[in-house]
Amino acid sequence: MEVSEKKAVKSIAIIGNPNVGKSSIFNQLTGLNQKIGNYPGMTVDKMMGYFQIGNKSFELIDLPGTYSLYPKSEDEIIAQKVLNGLGMEKPDAALVVLDACNLERSLLLGTQVLDLGIPMAFVVNMKDLAEKRGLSIQTFALYKELGVPLVLTDARNNQGLEAVRDLLSNDDFAVGKPFYELGFAALLEEVRLKFGFETPYQAFQQLVFAGYDPMLDQERKQWLEDKARSHGFDSQIQQTRETNQRFEKIKSTLSRTQSSGSGKPKKFHATLDKVLMHPVWGYVTFLGIMLLIFQAIFAWAEAPMDLIDGVFAALSGWVSDTLPPGVLTDLLSEGIITGIGGVVIFIPQIALLFGFLALLEDTGYFSRVVFLMDRLMRPFGLHGKSIVPLISGMACAIPGIMATRNISNTKERLITILVTPWMSCSARLPVYIILIGLTVPDEAWLGINLQALALLVMYLIGAAFTLLGAFALKFVLKSQEKSFLMTELPIYRMPRWQTVLLTMFNKSKIFVLEAGKVILAISIVLWVLASYGPSGEMEAIEAEEKAMLENVVEEQKFELTNEFASRKLEASYIGILGKAIEPAIRPLGYDWKIGIALLTSFAAREVFVATVATIYSVGENVEDELTIREKLNKQVHADTGEKVFTRATGFSLMVFYALAMQCMSTVAVVYRETKSWKWPVLQTIGMTIVAYLGALITYQIWS
Amino acid sequence: MTATGLKINQTYEIEGISASPLMVRMMEMGVMPGKSISLLQKAPFKGPMAFLIEGNILALRIEEADLIQIKGS
Repeated sequence: MEVSEKKAVKSIAIIGNPNVGKSSIFNQLTGLNQKIGNYPGMTVDKMMGYFQIGNKSFELIDLPGTYSLYPKSEDEIIAQKVLNGLGMEKPDAALVVLDACNLERSLLLGTQVLDLGIPMAFVVNMKDLAEKRGLSIQTFALYKELGVPLVLTDARNNQGLEAVRDLLSNDDFAVGKPFYELGFAALLEEVRLKFGFETPYQAFQQLVFAGYDPMLDQERKQWLEDKARSHGFDSQIQQTRETNQRFEKIKSTLSRTQSSGSGKPKKFHATLDKVLMHPVWGYVTFLGIMLLIFQAIFAWAEAPMDLIDGVFAALSGWVSDTLPPGVLTDLLSEGIITGIGGVVIFIPQIALLFGFLALLEDTGYFSRVVFLMDRLMRPFGLHGKSIVPLISGMACAIPGIMATRNISNTKERLITILVTPWMSCSARLPVYIILIGLTVPDEAWLGINLQALALLVMYLIGAAFTLLGAFALKFVLKSQEKSFLMTELPIYRMPRWQTVLLTMFNKSKIFVLEAGKVILAISIVLWVLASYGPSGEMEAIEAEEKAMLENVVEEQKFELTNEFASRKLEASYIGILGKAIEPAIRPLGYDWKIGIALLTSFAAREVFVATVATIYSVGENVEDELTIREKLNKQVHADTGEKVFTRATGFSLMVFYALAMQCMSTVAVVYRETKSWKWPVLQTIGMTIVAYLGALITYQIWS
Repeated sequence: MTATGLKINQTYEIEGISASPLMVRMMEMGVMPGKSISLLQKAPFKGPMAFLIEGNILALRIEEADLIQIKGS
């Protein structure tokens, strides 16, 4: 019964070179019906899509874009494991997407897949470009040579996809004729039998991959290494030989099946590159584009974020008013709903940023930026590709860290993930604004407004620590991987809106479903700590509040409620914690009330403002920044009678917020992107130590 | 001569690739003996170089470009 059910859905793996339009085809076939999963033991996501043709159901597995099946990164390891059904279910067939303009190069991967012996078909994409360049491909002749059906498409313009659907529904996949002539017949036969493979090339691949496969058990690994040694099989030499011979054979095959044209991109692209990659104008254009994107994010994200904020606040209020009062209602209204609101609030920024990034990527501009920035990033242990996460970090570290995916070098990617939270994100802005308002005079110096200057300095501190941190990590983290840059600069194309929208949707979905769980859990813990205290105390305060509220006139009720909110926070577990850490934060110039704000704002930096408002009993009206400022200005230390928010304390706090992690959502995303708790925990500890020292030094200098 | 010494917008031919762990990676991206190559752009301060290799543009750092041997001259 189960077997027949499984067979009802045909699973197809889709594979191809980068920039070949594989994702276009994937998106056109599956639409919104996509799912993100995991490959066991791997950090790369598994993308799957589902669709129906007639009454047949299909599952499409989107394998990472790669130029070959040689073990170089996780991408190739995953492709090899999936196509051979190692440690996961083997797909029924493979669709290999080829570039019509670069048949020679794309057939390297194509014939490798062919030799694995899996039923397959070729999709020759970008036929429009090939036609423009005067290339013509004799598909039937090529089919005769390779033994595998071919379909010509122009996926960007939705052409030829019907033929792909027909091919799928008729199940026209075929096992091709073995292409590459392997040596080592005896060795490969032994490996083939041991692993139960069908073709000798599968055995060859297993030998080549032996040293890279993290899932291979020690016994088999050792066995493969011993066998390779005794037969004199050197995998490096074999790969070179394979590449050379494949290309030779591909070339001779193509000479019979393809008539060549100019093969050169249009003049227009070269002219565009002269400007966009220019040593001066290239950078000016890039800066301009980035400014525009930021302008748009700040302008467009604000309204939906306010809306989300409002809706969740209203929902929380409605729940607490409608449901019978009690612990569960409180948990639902203040813990869970507020927690979910705290996750959803990030969607506008994530969606917008990834929308713009997808736009830049899809037009082909992105790799030009990598070309321009690589030299500037390298001294800091970063890659040209690190620039996008870092710049995104100025809006929000979360999409920035999610955008580190395409940095293939593990060390460079990790450094980028670890330092991105130091870029000054938009959540720090409310904290800076209130503290600058409190401690920096609104005066001009040499025509420059001092408050604006202070804000600029905070952004520069963030950027400086990002680069310094990366520089330090370059020496701390060890890596055998050699850093290199080998990026294709694809020709410029018009962006496809479908791709852009799908990216926005998928990235938001990943964030909500994956990081959202962690964020929700932490926010509930923080809520419990802030709402409950050791037995009795909280109830005593509540009883007192109730009694007093009955005896005062209406006008005083508001102030009284604020005062009790402050007393309740003080009596809560988090209040107790805040007091407990006071000795540790006193050298930074903070009292226990600021200590509480430090703890609660681990949820998100902007929570600092709300907590400070509560603890100094400013009241609900936290939007009114002036009220908070006045109130804070009056605070004095209980023991010494000195002002709490002096310039030294203000500056020290700003430095602390610039450098400390203080964002559980970032922690959750780092966990999700590194797939381990090691890095987010080390990162949080490290950033807190640096923040503490930075704040300490700042306080000592200014006091 | 290696690809680092190319004059801008002049067409050369690739003679070979020096042995290195990156050799296979270069070959699979189409950097092969016999292919035509020309230099399009250089990023400032000895940054990456952009080459046109048989109709495809490839960005390489100087270290990588230095692995590409050029025929003649």
